[in-house]
Amino acid sequence: MKTILMKPMLKRSRKENENLVGYTLLAPWLIGFLVIFVVPMAASLYYSFTNYNMLRAPRFVGLDNYVRMFTQDDSFWISLRVTFFYVLVMVPLRLAFALFIAMLLNTRRKFLGLYRTFYYIPSIVGGSVAVSIVWKQIFGNDGVAMSLLAAIGIEQRLSFIGNPDTAIWTIILLGVWQFGSSMLIFLAGLKQIPSSLYESALIDGANAWSRFWRITIPMLTPVIFFNLILQIINGFRVFTEGFIITDGGPLDSTLFYVLNLYRRAFTYFEMGYSSAMAWALVAIIAFFTLILFKTQSSWVHYESKEGGR
Amino acid sequence: MTKRLRLPTIMAFLLSVMIMISACSGGTGNSGANGAGSASTSSKQETSSGTNAGSGNDNSDPEPVKLSIAWWGSQTRHDYTQKLLDLYTELNPYVTFEATPSGWDGYFDKLSAQAAGGKLPDIIQMDYQYIATFSNNDLLADLQPFVDNQTLDLGRVDENIVGSGRVNGELTGIAISSTAMAVTYNPDVFANAGVEAPIPEWTWEQFIDAMTRIADNTGKLGTESLIDTQTFSYWVRQHGQHLFKEDGSALGYEDDAIMVEFINMVKSLQDNKSMPTPDERAQYESRGKEAMPVVTGDAGVRFDWANFTVITAGSNPNLKLVTPPLKGGGENGLWIKPGMFFSVAESSNHKEEAVKFINWFINSKEANDIIAAERGIPVSSEIRDYLKTSLTPQQQDMFDYLNVALQYSSPIDPPEPSGFAEVSKEFIDAVNKVMYDQISPEEAAQNFRKVANQILERNAN
Repeated sequence: MKTILMKPMLKRSRKENENLVGYTLLAPWLIGFLVIFVVPMAASLYYSFTNYNMLRAPRFVGLDNYVRMFTQDDSFWISLRVTFFYVLVMVPLRLAFALFIAMLLNTRRKFLGLYRTFYYIPSIVGGSVAVSIVWKQIFGNDGVAMSLLAAIGIEQRLSFIGNPDTAIWTIILLGVWQFGSSMLIFLAGLKQIPSSLYESALIDGANAWSRFWRITIPMLTPVIFFNLILQIINGFRVFTEGFIITDGGPLDSTLFYVLNLYRRAFTYFEMGYSSAMAWALVAIIAFFTLILFKTQSSWVHYESKEGGR
Repeated sequence: MTKRLRLPTIMAFLLSVMIMISACSGGTGNSGANGAGSASTSSKQETSSGTNAGSGNDNSDPEPVKLSIAWWGSQTRHDYTQKLLDLYTELNPYVTFEATPSGWDGYFDKLSAQAAGGKLPDIIQMDYQYIATFSNNDLLADLQPFVDNQTLDLGRVDENIVGSGRVNGELTGIAISSTAMAVTYNPDVFANAGVEAPIPEWTWEQFIDAMTRIADNTGKLGTESLIDTQTFSYWVRQHGQHLFKEDGSALGYEDDAIMVEFINMVKSLQDNKSMPTPDERAQYESRGKEAMPVVTGDAGVRFDWANFTVITAGSNPNLKLVTPPLKGGGENGLWIKPGMFFSVAESSNHKEEAVKFINWFINSKEANDIIAAERGIPVSSEIRDYLKTSLTPQQQDMFDYLNVALQYSSPIDPPEPSGFAEVSKEFIDAVNKVMYDQISPEEAAQNFRKVANQILERNAN
C-alpha cells in the first residue's frame, strides 16, 4: 500500500482513490475481523473433525465427534433441553415485561427520563460476573431470599439455587430482570405508531384492549420481530450466569449448552469435541433464525405495505 | 488535482496506523489467556506467563533469567511463596520470577489452555491426579539428568517418594512434600456436644454415632461433606479393592455393593442433618480453607489432607488430626502420598535455572523456614530434622500424624488416569442424585459404573 501511495496519482481516477481511502480506513477493523473472528472460526471448524486434547497435536477423526454427540452423549441432549427451556420461557417473559413497562413509560409522566434510566440499568450490569455473584448470594443458602421466606414462616433446607427444580428459574429471573434493553427498543417502536390510528379507533368506540390488540401489536410487529431474533440468539448463548451461580448444577438442571461446551474443552481436555459442539450450536441458532425469517411475512407488518392484513 | 486526491488517502493511512498501534499496545493479551481461568481466585500478579527475558543459554550464570511459576493454594500460601521468591532473587540476583498463583478451582483448566498455546510456566506446581495426563502428553521435562549431574540433590529424599514422580520411567515431577488423608476435628465442637474426641482406631460405626450425636445435641454439622473420589477411594481400598484398574482403563472394583454401602451411609448422615446437603456444601466450598465450617466451629470434622491444620493455624489453632475411620475387619486404606510436585515445562528455555530453584526449595534451611511445612511434610530428612527443633504445635501434629498414618497405610495407587476429571464429576453427580431422592443407591452405582467405564475407555485411546 505504501508504494501505491508514493507513486504519482495523476493517472488514478477519483473513484478509485475514494475506494482506496475507504479501504484504508476499513483496514483496522478488517484485520481485527480476520484475525479475531475468521481465523479462529476456521480453526474451530478444523478442530471439530479432530481429537484434540490441547496438550498435543490434533488427530484427525472425521465425523466421530458429531456422531458421538448425537448418539452417545447424554449431556448434549440434557444441555439442549435446558437451553431450550431457558430460551422458550425467558424470552417471552422478558419481552412481555419489556413491552408492558414500555407502554407504561410511553406517557407524559414527570421524571420519565429517570424511570427509563433506572429500568435500563439492570441490562447494562446484568450480564456481568459481579451481578451473577450477587444473585448467587441472594438466592443461596445464607441469602436474602431464604431469610425473607423464614420471616414469613416458610422454613426449607434447600435454597432456590440448591433445588434442582427451582435453580433454572433463578437464572430465568436474572434474564428477565435485564429487560431494559428490549424495553428501550419497544419504546422507540411505540413512539412511531401514528396517534391518528388511536384517535380514529376511539371515535369508532374501541376499548383499550381492542386498541392494544388491533393497533399496538400489529404496528409493533417489526420491533417484536427484531427483539425476538436478538433475544433468542442471545438466549442460546447463555453462559456466565450458569457458570457462576450454579456451575451447571444441581444435577445438571442448569447445564446450559455453552457451559457444557466450555467444560468439555477446558476441564475434560476435549477441545475437538467441544468445537464440534460449537458448530452444532451455530447450526441450531441458524435454523431457528431461518424459521423466524421465513414466517415473518405471515405476521410482521411493515409500514410500506398497504393497509396491513 | 493530485494533491486533492493524495491527501485524503495519506490521512486515512495515518489514521489507520494510529488506530492499530493504540489497539495493539493497549491490551497485554491477558483477557484471552485468562478467559479459561476467570473463575479462579487469583491474587496480585495475574500476568501472562512464559515470557522469558533471558537468552535461553542455561550455562551463563550472570545472564538475567525470568522464571515463570504457577501454583495453587489459599492466600496464606500465596503470601509466603511470594516472600520465598523474593528471597531467592535476593540470593541470586540474576533470577527474577513471574508468579501466577490461583485457587485449586480452575488451576488445571488454566494450565491446559496455556499448554495449548505452548506457554506453560517454567515451574509448575503439579498434582498426583494430573501428572499422568500432562506427562504422557510430553509437556513435562524429564528431570533425571539433573539428578544424575547433581544439580538436583535428592540424596536425603526417600526413594519411594521420589519414585511417585516417575511416570512411564521419566522423572517428570519432583515431590516437594508428602502427606496423607487425615480427618481434622474441632475439639471444642465435640466437647460442646458431649461427645468423646476421636481416636485412631475409631470405626465407621463410631464415626456415624459421633456425627449424629453432635448434630442432635448442638444442631451443628457433624461432618463436612464426604462426597468426593478421594474419600471414596479410601473406602474402596478398605475393602481390599482399588478405585481404578492399574492401567486406568476401567473401574477397579467389581462389586457395586461397595458404592451402595457408601451412598447409604452419606445419605443417612445427610438426612439426620449431620452432613450438609449438596446445596449447603456449595455455599461454603467457595470460601477459602480458613473459613470452612470445621474451622469456624460449625462442624465437628472435615476429611482433608494432613497439612490442613497447618494451613488454618492462623484462624483456629485448636484443630487436631486423627486417622479416618477404620472398617471393622477391613484392610489398611490409607496411603502416603506426595502432597504436590514441582514440574518443569518441556517447553521451558530455562530448565537448569528452574531445577536449581526446586533444589533450593527442597533442601535449603532458609527456604523451609519460610515454607514452614504449609505444603505438607518436607521430603528431605535433613530438613525434617532441622525443623523438629522449631515446630509449631500444628506442624508437630502433622509430623506425628504421618507416623501414625503409616501404621494404617498400604501402597499408593498409580496416578489417576486420563479422564479422571470427568469421572470425578460423574461420581459426585451420581451420589447427589441419591441425595436429592431421585434415584436409588443401586441405580446410582450401576449408572456410575457404566458411565465411568465409558469415559475411561475413551480416554485410554
